[in-house]
Amino acid sequence: MRYIPSTEEQKKEMLKEIGVSSFEDLIESVPQCLRLKDKLNIPEAISESELEDKIYRIAKKNADFYSMKPLIGAGSYRHFIPEAEKFLLQREEFWTCYTPYQPELSQGTLQSIFEYQSYISRLTKMEVIIPSIYDGASATAEAALMSLRLTHKNKIIVSNLLHPHYRETVKTYLAPHETEIIDLPYKNGLVDMEKLKILIEEDVASVIIQSPNFFGSIENMAEISEIVHSKSVLLINVIVESMSLGILKAPGEIGADIVAGNAQSFGMDLNYGGPHNAYLGTRKQYTRQIPGRIVGETVDVDGKRVFVMTLRAREQDIRREKATSNICTNHNLNVLAANIFLSLIGTEGLYQISLLNTKSAHYLENLLLQTGKFERVFDCPFYNEFLLKSKDDVSSINKKLLENNFVPPLKICEFYQEENMNNVLLFAVTEVLSRDNLNLVAKILSK
Amino acid sequence: MKLIFEKSIKGRDGYSLPQDLFDNIKIEECLPEYVISKDKKLLSEVSEVDVVRHFTKLSKFNYGLDDGFYPLGSCTMKYNPKINEKLASLSNFIYAHPLAPEETVQGCLEIFYDLNKLLCEITGMDEYTMSPAAGAHGELAGILIMRKYFVDHGDIRHKMLIPDSAHGTNPASAAMGGFQIVEVKSNEKGTVDLIELAELMDEDTVGLMLTNPNTVGLYDEGIEEIEKIVHNKGGLLYYDGANINASLGIIRPGDAGFDVVHLNLHKTFSTPHGGGGPGAGVIGVKKDLIPYLPTPNVAFNSDQKKYYLSDTAEKSIGMVRAFWANFSVLVKTYVWILSMGPDGLYNTSETSIINANYVLAKLKNYYKPAYDRYCGHECTVTGREYKKYGVKTLDIAKRIMDYGMHPPTIYFPHFEPYAEETIMVEPPESESKEILDNFIDIMIKISDEAKTNPELLTTAPHNTPIRRTNDALAIKRAILTYDDELKLKDELKYQEKDIDF
Repeated sequence: MRYIPSTEEQKKEMLKEIGVSSFEDLIESVPQCLRLKDKLNIPEAISESELEDKIYRIAKKNADFYSMKPLIGAGSYRHFIPEAEKFLLQREEFWTCYTPYQPELSQGTLQSIFEYQSYISRLTKMEVIIPSIYDGASATAEAALMSLRLTHKNKIIVSNLLHPHYRETVKTYLAPHETEIIDLPYKNGLVDMEKLKILIEEDVASVIIQSPNFFGSIENMAEISEIVHSKSVLLINVIVESMSLGILKAPGEIGADIVAGNAQSFGMDLNYGGPHNAYLGTRKQYTRQIPGRIVGETVDVDGKRVFVMTLRAREQDIRREKATSNICTNHNLNVLAANIFLSLIGTEGLYQISLLNTKSAHYLENLLLQTGKFERVFDCPFYNEFLLKSKDDVSSINKKLLENNFVPPLKICEFYQEENMNNVLLFAVTEVLSRDNLNLVAKILSK
Repeated sequence: MKLIFEKSIKGRDGYSLPQDLFDNIKIEECLPEYVISKDKKLLSEVSEVDVVRHFTKLSKFNYGLDDGFYPLGSCTMKYNPKINEKLASLSNFIYAHPLAPEETVQGCLEIFYDLNKLLCEITGMDEYTMSPAAGAHGELAGILIMRKYFVDHGDIRHKMLIPDSAHGTNPASAAMGGFQIVEVKSNEKGTVDLIELAELMDEDTVGLMLTNPNTVGLYDEGIEEIEKIVHNKGGLLYYDGANINASLGIIRPGDAGFDVVHLNLHKTFSTPHGGGGPGAGVIGVKKDLIPYLPTPNVAFNSDQKKYYLSDTAEKSIGMVRAFWANFSVLVKTYVWILSMGPDGLYNTSETSIINANYVLAKLKNYYKPAYDRYCGHECTVTGREYKKYGVKTLDIAKRIMDYGMHPPTIYFPHFEPYAEETIMVEPPESESKEILDNFIDIMIKISDEAKTNPELLTTAPHNTPIRRTNDALAIKRAILTYDDELKLKDELKYQEKDIDF
């Protein structure tokens, strides 16, 4: 077997050195009656070339997604990824190493995480950044748990326009903790401010708000922050499309206490849903309650500036059941991807992509409204995603788009069953769609 | 080494924007002023060439598995086959949107479905969920499944039994699952103390989380008895699959009576660790627990011959993440299993067990074993006898680096009096006898150095890009971003040589 260098001869030699006559002697503590009598009933090994054929055949059962242009986002956005990033990511020193417990052999990983923390801190204007939770949904759940620990209260208000998968994940994580989850309804495409004012009480731990929300609308976070902070309640700001930070106000500017951000847009492939990555951000005073790993700067014995995993006394390998979270393996390689991506696009690139995504989404909305086949559902400011109600049946629209090599927009009724959500589509636009592409969409849908 | 921020030159760029920036549209027409950030968010300004050199240089400060031996115990640092990466990167996979119509993602769904069946056969379970993103994430999902099962049966239980040798994630996950943790002591053989287990297991206990072989690398020979004790009180048995590299084709947790199993695909199933993920922590369960698995799961409609995401389990614990799984990790796992076949899987465990016992046999006269018996796929020795020379286990580990290797896991597991100053060596099947012999020689040489020249160890490493770090200072200063550093610039007084090396 090409991945197992030892020959049968060598194994015999080693058994002899160990002082046993056969392999069986080494596993004497495995009860005989529980041992497998037969070989595992799985397919016999195939060669690398056969393997390639097999997986190519399976991959072909998918659509040719590379050539298709996506009109869907809803928590996962196709952005262009520069080849330099993909190339660098493949360096085995990053790919094949373990968690950087030994800083002398891991400065590459550690410094990269530190740089990424610095970037995200500037983007979100939050002081402390936890670089890697599995994804936006689990990061939101961790933020919710963190707010319970910080406030010692047990009520959480969750916007109904938080991504449905995130909402469900929060519920799953909170289920054992006797937390009351209060659903904050929406009104006219944004969270219902009047309702929020009524719901906000001193016994609430936190309020979770996504902006831009699941419908793509940009919430008035400053006003929400004012309402939330009229009582001693924490504001958790969820960002699902982090590229929006290039142009939109940072959570730190509008008074968020904790930020949970899906970082997938920063150089991560869609990959049918994962692995992606998420960051958490908060204020320095809350550092004691953060989950997960964080990297800090220090010096080595020679006085060199170096980086180490720090504030570790919160973590599971040290604190066990008293840890702030169970998270251990996270999505570190995705942190590297995001760090390289942000380094490549730089200050100006981030701003320009963010600007372009806003403009081209508005361009498409306008074109589609002009066809006369669509109307707005709500009149809210949006970033790169928007809802349109179709006069035609949305299934046939999506079929047409698919035939023309577009990944169709989301039928919002899959997540929101209100009557006025029938025949409503959630469109997303990123820089991978050119003006020609958008014109073609409008042309297809005007017929 | 200089930070990317310190290489930034105003006006430089490393990205090519599309030609058409929709300049005919004014941003003010799109967005109200109150949502727009007043300033541009400052990243760095570097060229593509700068970025490539920066990260290439950074990579050289790392030690990876392809550089050499990486015997971290309980981490299963085995070779990551290159074909796995290529096949997981096919464009039809990586550009697949998770909410794309089902008919366009039949290939992805087939891999979910097939892999589920393969893992069931390998572990003797009835159904898997692919959702959890990592081992600890799988533990949490598994514990929530157990919790839901009992709630559903009107049998509210509050405690979870966890051996003292367990990974920290076990108690942390059980606490997140709302359970009170009861620790089970290890006996003089390094395994679960059956008498204590029988005393602790009661009808207020959901069950036992067990790693087998355990974190010392030892098989629990009382596994049949353990199963009876837990099941007789109506409890469930949770299998932490971190160490299943020792069991492939030999023993299946399902046959041994385990009800829930998690597998770390980034350990036994060869997918890369990536410096701390992404991996995957898939969960397998027995029939009675299938209704509680996270949603959705992939099913097959045999009439239409189509795979689909089934989201109808009303008793499910719910979603544990957005979307479905760490899909590319699943592809790599699938490819690895197909490359190995049944004989390759058996060979994997057989070779890793021989490797670990060989290292143990060769080292035991120099480093006292925590327990003097045959081990599974990893062995635990100790650095205790070098204390009298002023040498700690940490010093031994640091000295190993000087010989161009990654040290084993140290100080874990830790429980007195047997497992102190532990050095846990896991030499997976992908390591040859020559590599092990070299490691053994180095370890023997270091044991000699500890006696004759202890300072060489206490000041090690000497040959690494940086040397020992001041971890207390990191906590005290709490510099967590470059902006934190800038604020302390006057106090830090770095010289050029301290940051540019």
